[in-house]
Amino acid sequence: MHIIVEFWGQEFKVNIVIGCIGAFILAIVASMFGFGGGPFMVPLMTVVLGLPMYLVVGSSLLAILFNTLMSSMRHYQFGNFDLTFFLIMFPAAILAGFIAPQIAKRVSPLWVKRIAVVGLALLGLSLLGLF
Amino acid sequence: MSRKRGIISAVMLCLVLASYYVPFGQAQDTPSQPAAQAPAAAPAAAPAAAPAGAAGELTIAVDKTALSNGGEITVSGKTQPGKPVYLEVENDADVRAVFFDDKPNKDGVRPYKLYLSEHIPAFYQIYTPASTKEVFDKFKAQGGKFAYSDAIKELGADIAYNAPAGVAIDAYQTSLTASIIGSRGDKLPSLDPQENRRRSMQLMKARFRSPGKLLSPTVQVQPDGSYTCKVKIADGSAPGKYVITAYSDKSLKSKPVTVENNISFPVMYMAGAGTSLNVFWPFLLTLGIGVFGVLMGAGGGFLLNPILLSVWPALPHTIVAGTVTPTVLFSQASGIYNYSKIKFISWKLGTIMGLAMAAGGFIGPKMTELITLDQFKFVFGIILLILGALMFWQTTPGYLAKNKKEQAILKEFKRRAEESAAGKKA
Repeated sequence: MHIIVEFWGQEFKVNIVIGCIGAFILAIVASMFGFGGGPFMVPLMTVVLGLPMYLVVGSSLLAILFNTLMSSMRHYQFGNFDLTFFLIMFPAAILAGFIAPQIAKRVSPLWVKRIAVVGLALLGLSLLGLF
Repeated sequence: MSRKRGIISAVMLCLVLASYYVPFGQAQDTPSQPAAQAPAAAPAAAPAAAPAGAAGELTIAVDKTALSNGGEITVSGKTQPGKPVYLEVENDADVRAVFFDDKPNKDGVRPYKLYLSEHIPAFYQIYTPASTKEVFDKFKAQGGKFAYSDAIKELGADIAYNAPAGVAIDAYQTSLTASIIGSRGDKLPSLDPQENRRRSMQLMKARFRSPGKLLSPTVQVQPDGSYTCKVKIADGSAPGKYVITAYSDKSLKSKPVTVENNISFPVMYMAGAGTSLNVFWPFLLTLGIGVFGVLMGAGGGFLLNPILLSVWPALPHTIVAGTVTPTVLFSQASGIYNYSKIKFISWKLGTIMGLAMAAGGFIGPKMTELITLDQFKFVFGIILLILGALMFWQTTPGYLAKNKKEQAILKEFKRRAEESAAGKKA
């Protein structure tokens, strides 16, 4: 099943069934482990659904917000939430959002990604007990 | 335009300051409360601390009645000659623990029962006689896989295991369908005392995990019946009253003595997690990871969750996942606001896919409860490796060439969107 999405004078045919199934599975994993899911949502919409980046940037963020709102509510309902801990991390997360763009101007995104690849691999292997 | 942005950033700054102020305000209250209670606690402990000598009694005394962010208490006393001494140390703060029973039972049937208690002590340890060290070492070698109930039985600590045995435990019969609709399942009738005791041990194990946290074979008992033991309350333990009781056999037990543990800012107690932390560390960690997360184009959650669990193993993974999730709400909402201002968002596409994600977000958080820390780490490890591979792909020349074109188109569209938004206003 396809739907037509209009964006800045262009029409896009979107296979919404595949999109929704992918988004649904991704949301289960993301909410279960407590991360947003942006880095997986963007490839899902660009590579799998074949949509251009300029349509995806804003729309994927909106889709992820639904997941974050719902899963925050559910985690709270199940008592998986610590207020003190949240009040420590929340201002730090907001502050990071202001500091990061200042630094981003001065560093190469390619090198940030390369460092991230190494960091993610080491962290992943250490969680698996292999490193 | 710039004035509007100035106002918005001023409001955001106020928000930051306001939310920053709250933990400080709480922190100042926290230490004052126990301090007020401390003098009251001291006389209560004093009579018990008096060394009694009457034969046949089990006496107990402590060298101090107050601690500051943990410390060591020397417990001493006297029991009947030739008898063992076990110490039960329990904190009065409650935490939550869940245990999901999905191992096949004797008949090969998987019970799929979820046990949950809100009243597990935030700190609990049984000190056994030093002569049981060999038995303890056997269980210690098994690490996180040890069976707590077997350890208690073989160490002879049954007589001391009392405080958690009677905690209120809710049992649920869960099923695959219940999981899909995101419910805990049907609530089962309350457990009988013996079953409650048995399940409480599984919950204690789920909560404290390692043998060393629950048991310590360090009570030195002399042939004449006198005993000493150093009780260590690690820093980062819950504040409040620690009740210590000595046991020699089923009928021979001491009066309880109470030691108060006080914490002061910047160390704060997290009631949900049952742990105290110096708040600057999680703040700086979140800040650092948050900045790096934005730079690499992934939210901080990917890194924050596993790093928090590695740095503070005492934090339960359910609390970490549930508390990190809402921290990104603000950045997501402000991002959407910025895109919507220039109409750079497809509400139709975002909402339809968002509803599918909301359905997934309804189910996921319950599943966090059903998995153990080890399973959590295992799956998270695989997710991070996949993310690493995805990031690596984004550094390959083929992707970069394609991305350069995409970014140019994105920039061009964004410029047009901004111009049109500005044009409408003028």
